[in-house]
Amino acid sequence: MLHIVDDEEVIRDALAWLAQSRGLAARGYAGGQAFLDSVGEPDLEGDCVLLDVRMPDMNGVAVFDQLIGRGLLPRLPVIFLTGHGDVPMAVDSLKRGAFDFFEKPFNDNQLMDRVDQALAASRAAAVSDQVRMRLATLSAREREVLDLILAGKMNKVVADELGISMRTVEVHRAHIFDKMQVKTAVELAGLLK
Amino acid sequence: MKNPFRLPRRASLSRPWRWLVPLLLVLLFLAVLLWLPWQARQMEANERQEQLIADTLWVEQTLRFELARSEEALSVLGADLLVKPPAPEQLQARLDQMFKNGHELRRVLWLGSDGTTLAHHGLELPPGGLASVGAEAMEMARLTRAGRYTEPYGASAHAPGMIDYYLPLFRRGEYAGALVASYSLKVLLDETVPWWFAQDNALALLDRDDERVAARADGGPGRGVYTHRRALDLPGSSIVLATDSVKGSPRLLPNLLVGSVIVLALGLLISLMSLWRHISRTLAAESALRQQMAFRTAMENSLLTGLRARDLEGRVTYVNKAFCQIVGLPAEELLGKKPPMPYWAPEATLDYEERFAKILAGTVTPQFETVFQRADGVRVPVLVFEAPLVDSRGEQTGWMSSILDITDRKKAEELNRQQQEKLEASARLATMGEISSMLAHELNQPLAAISSYTAGALNVLERADKGVPIEPNLLRRALEQARQQAQRAGQIIKSVHEFVKKSEPQREEVAIKSVVDGVRALVELQARKSWVTLQFALPPALPTVLADRLMLEQVLLNLTRNGIEAMAELPPERRILRIAAGFDAAQVSVSVIDNGHGIPPDVAERLFSPFFSTKAEGMGMGLSICRTAIEFHGGTLTHAPNPGGGTVFTFSLPRRDVAAAASATGAPELK
Repeated sequence: MLHIVDDEEVIRDALAWLAQSRGLAARGYAGGQAFLDSVGEPDLEGDCVLLDVRMPDMNGVAVFDQLIGRGLLPRLPVIFLTGHGDVPMAVDSLKRGAFDFFEKPFNDNQLMDRVDQALAASRAAAVSDQVRMRLATLSAREREVLDLILAGKMNKVVADELGISMRTVEVHRAHIFDKMQVKTAVELAGLLK
Repeated sequence: MKNPFRLPRRASLSRPWRWLVPLLLVLLFLAVLLWLPWQARQMEANERQEQLIADTLWVEQTLRFELARSEEALSVLGADLLVKPPAPEQLQARLDQMFKNGHELRRVLWLGSDGTTLAHHGLELPPGGLASVGAEAMEMARLTRAGRYTEPYGASAHAPGMIDYYLPLFRRGEYAGALVASYSLKVLLDETVPWWFAQDNALALLDRDDERVAARADGGPGRGVYTHRRALDLPGSSIVLATDSVKGSPRLLPNLLVGSVIVLALGLLISLMSLWRHISRTLAAESALRQQMAFRTAMENSLLTGLRARDLEGRVTYVNKAFCQIVGLPAEELLGKKPPMPYWAPEATLDYEERFAKILAGTVTPQFETVFQRADGVRVPVLVFEAPLVDSRGEQTGWMSSILDITDRKKAEELNRQQQEKLEASARLATMGEISSMLAHELNQPLAAISSYTAGALNVLERADKGVPIEPNLLRRALEQARQQAQRAGQIIKSVHEFVKKSEPQREEVAIKSVVDGVRALVELQARKSWVTLQFALPPALPTVLADRLMLEQVLLNLTRNGIEAMAELPPERRILRIAAGFDAAQVSVSVIDNGHGIPPDVAERLFSPFFSTKAEGMGMGLSICRTAIEFHGGTLTHAPNPGGGTVFTFSLPRRDVAAAASATGAPELK
């Protein structure tokens, strides 16, 4: 989902149309507060914010600070849209984790390419978040088994090394695959690489 | 500071002595003067007294002599009577003779030894016979056998007294009678005493009781001051001659000399007193003057205003401390100086000389601003007030000037002006920046929107190529939006154009002279600040032009400022900026000519391009704007090197009459 935060309705509308023309879902917000009120946990589909710096009620930087404060940042990439002369501010924002900034007037399709990249990054961040959550559900013995599986050891070797029976290893392995929501060891390795 | 009105210092130590000595002398003199007439009077009195005594003695002698002569005659007669008595007729004749010789003799009796009257001549005997005093006198005379006088008798208020003389006659020792002569004392005095003595002295004969028996006072009664008594020393009589001078005691100022000396002394005293009063008044005045002077000196020294007095020839006669500070020279180097003054700045010499010539001619500019050069070369702008200096007789002796150092004021003015200019410039810049920023923002929005809509539309078309079906409604809406935004942008530009149009120049008929006059004050201010001499050469009959006055003033200000700044490196006396105007059949031209550094060729190429500047703080807009402004009026702005060094900037504008004629004949109007 692309979130467009700009006080100018025409701009919101035009950017939404542009996103739509590239098959992206977009939603407009007339001000920073309206956006902060409705934004929630990003999903795995990926999110991205186009944030206008100059807005009457709450400027873009203030909105950005709030997003950082809520810990949403890596999963909710922010692309600033700046007017003339806001470059130092934009550079500062980049240092603090903004995804990119575009100075008006911008090349629309270049902007949309960056939006695509931002959405991908958002998705990746969302996935790694979920993997971490799943790993957290494993018991200590299951983590030991997981490490040995990822090292490419056969069940027999794992049982020997841990001093447990083959049967037990297989039960652990099933639990791990279940908790990590994967079907094969290859899939597991891909998830955790 | 040197003060020409300084008073001599008073010697206060000798003050008591100065008065004591003349005072003592005067007192001594007065004492002598008082003593002298007293002494003189005393001497005169003594002298008179002595004179009177001598005169009295002389009178007494005279009286005695007269009586003695009479006694002699009687004794001769008595002798003759005893020897041979003459016939009565003879006797009478002889007595007559005696009476003629001495008028005082009033009666003669011849008495026999028995007392009978044998002969009688002169006054009748009074009824009572001879005076009672006579018997005693006759007795004494017979006893002493010598003639004897009686005491005076018969004196009364109306009649003078008489005196008798008894001469006893003896014949061979036998008393044979007596001759009795009676004298009138009054006549005795009248006849015997000379007139001059009687004139000066009252004479009196007194008996033994001091009763007056006869008196003579031709010169009036005596004063009783100088008197003398002298007994006549007649046998048997104690008659006394008393003299009394008619002169009074000598007056206190008996003679002119003493009087005049006293008058002179009084005069001296009075003049001394008045001198004293005069001196004390002078001293009081001097003290007041001294105090006044001290007050004035303190005032002059505390003044921040410089004071300078000059005589009618322009020679400096007085300067105060503040003036010395303003010009940075000690008073000694200024007093007595005649122009050219050491504080004259070379570039303003003409001004000074002009004013000085006026002063010599007796007129003066009461107030003007000028520049003095301090000893260290710094120029000090000053405000000078001149007023005639008039002496106590009301005659003008010179000029008094007060000089105000207005460096700070000038600085403040200049600072103020610069700040004002900066403020205006930055206000202009701010306005320009605001307008352009607003314009950019306003245009950015529709343009960005148009860009996004069209990019999206292209995306849709691209996807259609890949087989994605087109949604015509969506595409139409996007293109409709793009069109609207393009129209909005056009609207914005139109409104800006409207705004700009409002500040378009207003053309009117303008005289070049009025343009020059309009900026003159500003240019002069700048020129004075940079010590540049301005010269104006404007022909009287310049044709007018059709132009925006403010723009022309702006151009002229720009050019003069450039010229003045170009001469900053020159010595002040060579900094001359000329503003000259001229015209031909078609155009009026104005030239601004400086003697500055000129324009190198590489600079000349880019001179009129925007944002080109040779000045550190220049915006590079000046000449570019000037050229635009002049071209806007259908004129030209050119520059050429000044043959004497420097640059000539000339702008030419069409004459109004020519331009009007051109437009009337249908020629394209200059716009």
